[in-house]
Amino acid sequence: MMFWLIADIIKILIVFAGLLGAAAYLTLLERKIAARIQNRMGPMEAGFHGLLQPIADGIKLFFKEDIIPAGANKFLFLLAPIIVVIPALTTFAVIPFGAPVKIMGHTVPLQITDVNIGILFILALTSLGVYGVVLGGWASNSKYSLLGGIRTAAQMISYEVALVLSIVGIIMIAGDLSLAKIVSEQSHMWFIVYQPVGFIIYLIASTAEMNRVPFDLGEAEGELVAGFHTEYSSMEFAFYFIGEYAQMVVNSAIIVTLFLGGWQGPFLPSVLWFLIKVFFVILIYLWLRWTYPRLRYDELMDLGWKFLLPLALANIIVTGFIMILLNR
Amino acid sequence: MEALFYVFSFIAIFSALMVVTMRNPLTSALYLVLCFFALAGFYVILDMQFLAAMQILVYAGAIMVLVVLVIMLLNISRIKNIGSDLHQKIIGGLISLILFAEVVLYIINGAQKKPTGIFTRALIKKIGNTQIIGEFLFTEYMLPFEIASILLFVAIIGAYLFAKKKY
Repeated sequence: MMFWLIADIIKILIVFAGLLGAAAYLTLLERKIAARIQNRMGPMEAGFHGLLQPIADGIKLFFKEDIIPAGANKFLFLLAPIIVVIPALTTFAVIPFGAPVKIMGHTVPLQITDVNIGILFILALTSLGVYGVVLGGWASNSKYSLLGGIRTAAQMISYEVALVLSIVGIIMIAGDLSLAKIVSEQSHMWFIVYQPVGFIIYLIASTAEMNRVPFDLGEAEGELVAGFHTEYSSMEFAFYFIGEYAQMVVNSAIIVTLFLGGWQGPFLPSVLWFLIKVFFVILIYLWLRWTYPRLRYDELMDLGWKFLLPLALANIIVTGFIMILLNR
Repeated sequence: MEALFYVFSFIAIFSALMVVTMRNPLTSALYLVLCFFALAGFYVILDMQFLAAMQILVYAGAIMVLVVLVIMLLNISRIKNIGSDLHQKIIGGLISLILFAEVVLYIINGAQKKPTGIFTRALIKKIGNTQIIGEFLFTEYMLPFEIASILLFVAIIGAYLFAKKKY
């Protein structure tokens, strides 16, 4: 009993620290990659090739003045950035990040908890991230923030439908909602081979769900200053960033678990495989951001409802037919 | 488990009270979200993880977002001088009395019932309640399920027509 309690607490601490550290260093990675793509050097001053830049940024944001605009709803204004971070951090609880290891005669699964509705747990939590954005936009008492919040809410609801439907194919093939089972089902073949369309839809819809370019209508700098976080400063502002980057890590981890075989791979230790795969999916997200221009609002809605949604539905039907034909 | 039940009940009742007493509609909506979370907690205690996830995903994650969006778009930040109509008070009092009587009747006449059917707790744990719900929806409750989906489909077409109409 005591052993499991300690093991769980250690796992939670590792995941928590790992996610926050990854979120901090993703800012540096993003700036470095953006610099590469635009033929610049990126941050170079703090530490070797800017390696201490995230820490410097953190200290700077921590000591900045905390401004709450006049007429803002103070409670909701402070609550909103927290709501963004919590679902992003909690989602990782059900993601298996390595093969079970043997410690002192016990087999410890490298996953905080194996819920039998794993995927649904993830979907339910990620659908809550929208509250942080919407409330932040509303509570700021500023027109730019409000517009950003409304846009983001409409966008997130639209893309969530396609996001959920794109996973249904995986659930049909695996026959289970638990993520540990889904990973073990992929020991022979990754699900991306069976579900290439689902993978593409999930990639696009999750980018939209995270509000990243080309879907960052909610914070479009050219039109809305900074959208829903225009009025935020200091650590509340930093929380929005931590939330966004933690969400990126989590979404990459979900993609790896569902489509790319999870922690499975030859030769190297399983945790290392998991990290390598997550890193590559994160690179795809970054690459998307610095390649495509922002969509116009009606284009965004058209893509979500008239292209991704029918495609996701067709994907489910085709998957079902093939499974019947192959008698699985 | 019992302690958790009381925690969730307290949250549910407290947030439900806040929903009706708060002056700011947005705060009310957020308390309703909290109430949904407490209900999801009850489902987890009852070993109905699927229902719990759906409660959060559909109600808290989709429907309430729409409600919040509408409140924001209408910009009703605070309701001022709520009209105290005598008729409304009488009708409201009557309805709450009837509801209260109903609850009391149920509590007095209710008795503990043993679960019937082949699905025991152990079996549900073994198969997983999602699989059981899915099987039932597509065999025994096929007709209601299909009727509900047709109803939703009609609603979608209706909404589309309303949105498309040009004045």
